[in-house]
Parts: sequence; C-alpha cells; structure tokens
Amino acid sequence: MNVKVEASKEYTLVSVEGRIDTTNANEFEKSVMEVIESGCSKLILDCSGLNYISSSGLRVFLIVQKKMMAIKGHFLLTNLQPGIKEIFDISGFSSIFAIFPDQQSALANH
Amino acid sequence: MKETPDKKVLQVINQIHELARVEGFLETLSEQWGFSARISMILNLVLEEALTNTILYGYDDSLEHTITLNFELEGDILSISIFDDGHEYDPTQKEDPDITLAAEDRQIGGLGIFLIKKNMDSVEYLRIENKNCLILKKNIKS
Repeated sequence: MNVKVEASKEYTLVSVEGRIDTTNANEFEKSVMEVIESGCSKLILDCSGLNYISSSGLRVFLIVQKKMMAIKGHFLLTNLQPGIKEIFDISGFSSIFAIFPDQQSALANH
Repeated sequence: MKETPDKKVLQVINQIHELARVEGFLETLSEQWGFSARISMILNLVLEEALTNTILYGYDDSLEHTITLNFELEGDILSISIFDDGHEYDPTQKEDPDITLAAEDRQIGGLGIFLIKKNMDSVEYLRIENKNCLILKKNIKS
C-alpha cells in the first residue's frame, strides 16, 4: 500500500494505492488520522489505485467518516474501482459515504 | 486430501503474516484454474476474513497451530474447506450487521463474516473430530 498526501488551501487530497487489508489497515488509519489532526476539514480520498479492501480497511473508512462528521467536515471518495464499489454496496457503505466518479465532481458538490 | 489437478491443499500457521502466502497461493491458483480478476479478489477477501477471525480469536493458547485449506474444483463450482483446531466456533450463527443504518449508528467492525456470507453461494459449518470446518462454495463463472 502507498499513501500520498497533497494539501492545498481548500482541501487535502489523499491517494491510496494497492491493498488495504488486515496487515496494513492500522498504517492506513494512522496516515489519514494525521491528515485530519493537522486541521483538514475537507478530505478527498482518491481510490483509483485501490485494488483490494477487506473488512479491516472498511473499518478505517467508517472511523474516518465518523471523525469527519463529528468535526462537521467532508470526507469525499473518488474513483472507486468496480470491485471496490461492489464491496461498498454489499456492506451498505455506498449510502453512508459521499462517492464521486472523479475529483472535479467531488469538488463541484462540496 | 491428495492433490490432483482439481484439488489443491494449502497449510498455514496461526500468524497474520501468513495472509501474504494465501494471497500468493490464490494468484497461482487463479492462473491454473482460470479465475477472473473479480473472482480472484473475492476469494482473497473471504479467505482473509475467515483466517483473520481464526488467527486472532480462534485459539485459547499462544501455541502454533496449523490451518488447512482444501480447494476443489468440480465443473464451475469451487469448494474451499478450512479446518482449524481452535475452540468450537460457528461463524454462520453470527448475526448480520444492520447495513441500512446511518454512519453515526453503524458499529465499527463486524463485517468480516457478513462479507464471507454475501460473497459466497453457500457457507456451511461442521464440527468434526474437535476441529472447526468451514465449507465455502462459489460458482466461479458467476
């Protein structure tokens, strides 16, 4: 897994590549939490390179969503691969996250 | 189980790092048995969920245990039987999470077994000779 963080004035773009599974979900959680704790209230997570997620990874997504809701921030997901979207659908996550086809549409809506 | 072209066996120990070996094994099996990338990902997911539960919560001691996975392909139907000698636990009895709840009300965790059930065509549990046996079946062309 690779996590890249690009902060701008308006929002922070986090790009995740590879797999989020039992072996690295804590590492992913730490990276994203650091971004939120640095004062980010609009976080765009680019999932175009994410090709595998298990329940350990979904758990982190839910933690981040709860955290962002608590601070009245926005957590926007973009570019989910079909296989990942399918897991989100099965888990009921598609209705509790703001999911956009790309970064432009995410920014246009928030 | 004896290995044949349609039967494969994988043994792992009760350590989380073994998941990497499961991933590698599935990659090879997917090539040999012609699984699509989607099926391959689903199989990786359900095995990760099942093994993570067993490895983290299945044992009452801190000794090394072996978990055996038998893979069998009959036509388009793949059967995976997972045997462990942990304490008796039937994951099929676990209540499903309520996936219609809003984010505030959703519980953190508890999705693993649900993902196994939703992604497989059938999930069966047996207790055989002091071992847990979980039998997962999936039509690989679905």
